[in-house]
Amino acid sequence: MTTQLPPGIELEKVDDRIMTLNVGPQHPGSGHMRLIIKLDGDYIVSCDPDPGYVHRGEEKMAEYRNYIQNIPHLERPVIHDSCNILYPYCLAVEDLLGIEVPERAKYIRVIGSELNRCTYILYWLAIYGIFLGHSTMFMWPMGDRELFIDLLEAMSGARVTHAYFVPGGVRNDLPANFEERCLRQVDYFEKRLKEYEDIFYQNPVLKQRTEGTGILSRMDAIRLGTTGSVLRASGVDFDVRKKEPYDVYDNLDFETQVLREGDSYARSRVPYLEMFESCRIIKDALKKMPKSGSVRTKLKPNPKGGNDEVYRRVESGRGSLGYHIISNNRPEPYRVKISVGSFRNLICIPYLLKGEKLGNMPSVYWSLNYWPVEADR
Amino acid sequence: MSTIAPEFRLSRFIASLTDIIFWILLIFSIIGLPLVFILLFYIKLPVVNGQLLTPYLAMTWMADPSRTIPIIKSLIHTEFFRIIAFPGFGFAALLAAATIFVERKFLAKIQLRVGPLYCGKIEGILQLMADGLKLMSKEIIIPAKADKPIFWLAPLLFVGTAAAFTSLIPVAPGWVAANPNVGLLTVFAIIGFFPIITVLSSWSANSKWTFIGGIRALHQMISFEIPLILSLLGIVILTGTLNLTEIVESQQHYWWIVFMPIGAIVFFITIIAELERIPFDLPEAESEIVAGWLTEFSGMMYGLIQLGTYLKLYAFAGLFTVLFLGGWNGPMVWPPFPQEIITNGITIGPITAHIPGLPLFDQEMLNGTLWFVIKTVGVILVILLPRGVFPRIRIDMLLYTGWYKLIGLAFVNIFIALGLLYGGVLGPGGLIQ
Amino acid sequence: MSTAGGIIRALNSGVKHLAVKRFTLRYPEQKLKFVGDGFQFDPQTGVGIAGLKGRHILFHDKCTGCQLCSVACEGIAEAIGMVKVKETWKHNKKAIMPQIDYGKCVFCGLCVDACPFYALYMTNDYELSSFTKSALIYTPSQLAVKPNISQDVEIKIGKRGATHG
Repeated sequence: MTTQLPPGIELEKVDDRIMTLNVGPQHPGSGHMRLIIKLDGDYIVSCDPDPGYVHRGEEKMAEYRNYIQNIPHLERPVIHDSCNILYPYCLAVEDLLGIEVPERAKYIRVIGSELNRCTYILYWLAIYGIFLGHSTMFMWPMGDRELFIDLLEAMSGARVTHAYFVPGGVRNDLPANFEERCLRQVDYFEKRLKEYEDIFYQNPVLKQRTEGTGILSRMDAIRLGTTGSVLRASGVDFDVRKKEPYDVYDNLDFETQVLREGDSYARSRVPYLEMFESCRIIKDALKKMPKSGSVRTKLKPNPKGGNDEVYRRVESGRGSLGYHIISNNRPEPYRVKISVGSFRNLICIPYLLKGEKLGNMPSVYWSLNYWPVEADR
Repeated sequence: MSTIAPEFRLSRFIASLTDIIFWILLIFSIIGLPLVFILLFYIKLPVVNGQLLTPYLAMTWMADPSRTIPIIKSLIHTEFFRIIAFPGFGFAALLAAATIFVERKFLAKIQLRVGPLYCGKIEGILQLMADGLKLMSKEIIIPAKADKPIFWLAPLLFVGTAAAFTSLIPVAPGWVAANPNVGLLTVFAIIGFFPIITVLSSWSANSKWTFIGGIRALHQMISFEIPLILSLLGIVILTGTLNLTEIVESQQHYWWIVFMPIGAIVFFITIIAELERIPFDLPEAESEIVAGWLTEFSGMMYGLIQLGTYLKLYAFAGLFTVLFLGGWNGPMVWPPFPQEIITNGITIGPITAHIPGLPLFDQEMLNGTLWFVIKTVGVILVILLPRGVFPRIRIDMLLYTGWYKLIGLAFVNIFIALGLLYGGVLGPGGLIQ
Repeated sequence: MSTAGGIIRALNSGVKHLAVKRFTLRYPEQKLKFVGDGFQFDPQTGVGIAGLKGRHILFHDKCTGCQLCSVACEGIAEAIGMVKVKETWKHNKKAIMPQIDYGKCVFCGLCVDACPFYALYMTNDYELSSFTKSALIYTPSQLAVKPNISQDVEIKIGKRGATHG
């Protein structure tokens, strides 16, 4: 008795040689996502990513709340990079409502954004270390991250999910003696970053493990639409902070870090080099910041956007993060579409993992700078 | 374990007491007495002062303080004590337990954190006891499709083989649990068992993750056994004997690591691979294959496997000390037993007591043990260090290292040894004796 | 040979760190210091004052029962409900005050931004755990209590590394 299948669906052919592994959400090596991997011996024949375990409907929920009430919701997809995920939202709403942001607020926003970028990259680097079995590389970034979280807590009042950026500026001014504390901890952090060279980036075992695996060529990176550090590790010089500068980034001097090889080693090294640049930006912004001034423009109560749409984007830790907001004369937006770097880089996973050894799976998968919660929104 | 205690009733209490006494007597007579008689048949009892020391005689003699020490001394010199307590299982298990705790604190210091802190008043020193109690109280879950007899046997086989390995290591002159004339070959034979046990335990668990882990463990252990054996051939050539005690005795003036550093390095790398420690912990690679061949073991079975692993660690470190670092040889730092206590006895106030039979252990043995422990602990610390420094190696790199590089280096070592021997530098009649 | 050099450098880096001080904050015995008294908001200038976003504090002599905090929270976490209080205040004719459910609150502080009468601030108190869910609902009189928080250590950067000291 053969079962009739609906048209377009066929039974999977089971091959004796191919073993299907479920690197699922309950696995120490996968994050909140499932990868269905078909193995032939030690080589991956095909990989099928299965995101969606953490989908919460952020975009739909945003249609029922007004512009200020959206802030705690929209920062939750990436809790420790919350300033960066709110940044384009604030820029977009300011464009919609026609608000002008004071100068000191722009500098504080830049400092907050860079602190958050370092926090996110350190967390990502810690998980990269533990996926490769390097427990020291898990503990050191987590410990050094504490330096930044301490500063963010002094600045905004919360260690993660800061809810600090608002359309119109930032919610509160910096506390007393913040600059001196910030400079001290950022200087110490740069010294700690140099320690990572010997034990991780120049470690021969790590180099043999990640060099030459998961190579993404320059044309492929552009064609597949990748963004962020994945793009910069394949030789494309694109950073939203330089190409479409927002707030005061055109006033600060820093460089885009670009590597040419496009393998996992380059993808794991670009964020590390970007952290040095972030420290430079923070110190520069602290110097150039106006010493006093207001940090927030007062909004009218219950602001309504006109019949308008706007798209703004920002360089977050994972790539370019953009918001497309459509408003129609009501205090709630009509549609908020979040375009996230992680979801766009997801296309590389099946493409790069085909033909790789199973041992390379964690190093390639996590080097794509993929944050599952943000990809699912 | 929280039951509500019923109300106290005297008749019930007396009934439960008699019940307990009945069961104790029953177990004692049906199982205990035959066990004691079997023990008496098979353990060689010592002869003290011309009389065979049976347990009954020993207990009567213990009442007399002048005979206590000879009895204890004769018990200590039996085979049974050597297997169970001193250079055998007890000593090894104690060092293994201390290693687990030291490893966690040592790694924590490298990683700038604290490690176990709350169990025990001083910096978490009772953490190991807490872990042991936790493992004993957990439920042992057997997968439904697993091959049950082999699955139950695998941890026991593992601990048994590891304990057999520790019995071959000489700790002090004359103190070794087993001293076969082909000691080194026995070591190789026992090491050869470990891949079989690993594959048995991973296959019997009948799961994809354990399967991959077991295959990787098999590849790793087999490809590193050859360099392990080859790197030790240099020492066998130069000393001319396979007996571990004789190898230690031949290092009285110099240690073998001075003449064969390459062999020592190759041996060191292969023991890290045989122990499945980072950087060679592919069989238990957490981020790729959950826990490898250990995935399905829970509760005390996992505890037994951890015990076996750390016994193996002690045994390999002891083997390295015995072969390359001179075993128990070292300058005499242990103070000699004061002569007055032997001749005049101990004087406390008005009472002078003569205790014949002291000293319990002679000075040579204690000095040798001290140096052995110091060297082994040093080797263990160096084995623990790569765990904090290196990531996990990949299977093809591992096979390349094991089959090409290490075998090549081991052959270079053998040629150096042959050169030293035939050049007349070492060996009988050589320049350096 | 470069692999041997790399291996030795990595081991050297590991051994060097045996001399660096540990960074851990030993939490219940040592607690972190904070600058300031908690997050506050000045409705005249429209800008907040930096501080930790911990438990709220309600000043009964300023709250008028206008419900703006509850309205602000409705779209976010629905953690503030207004309840009747027995006290009579001249400026609080309806005799209602906010009651905050800390099981739902996300500590974003937008209710503090919404209050126009300087009545709702946040304090440095972050140890709010309890054994039952109903104990997490803080009534207006519980919210009026000023917390007593111990503050011991902060991050200090020394020659042998940073510690919480």
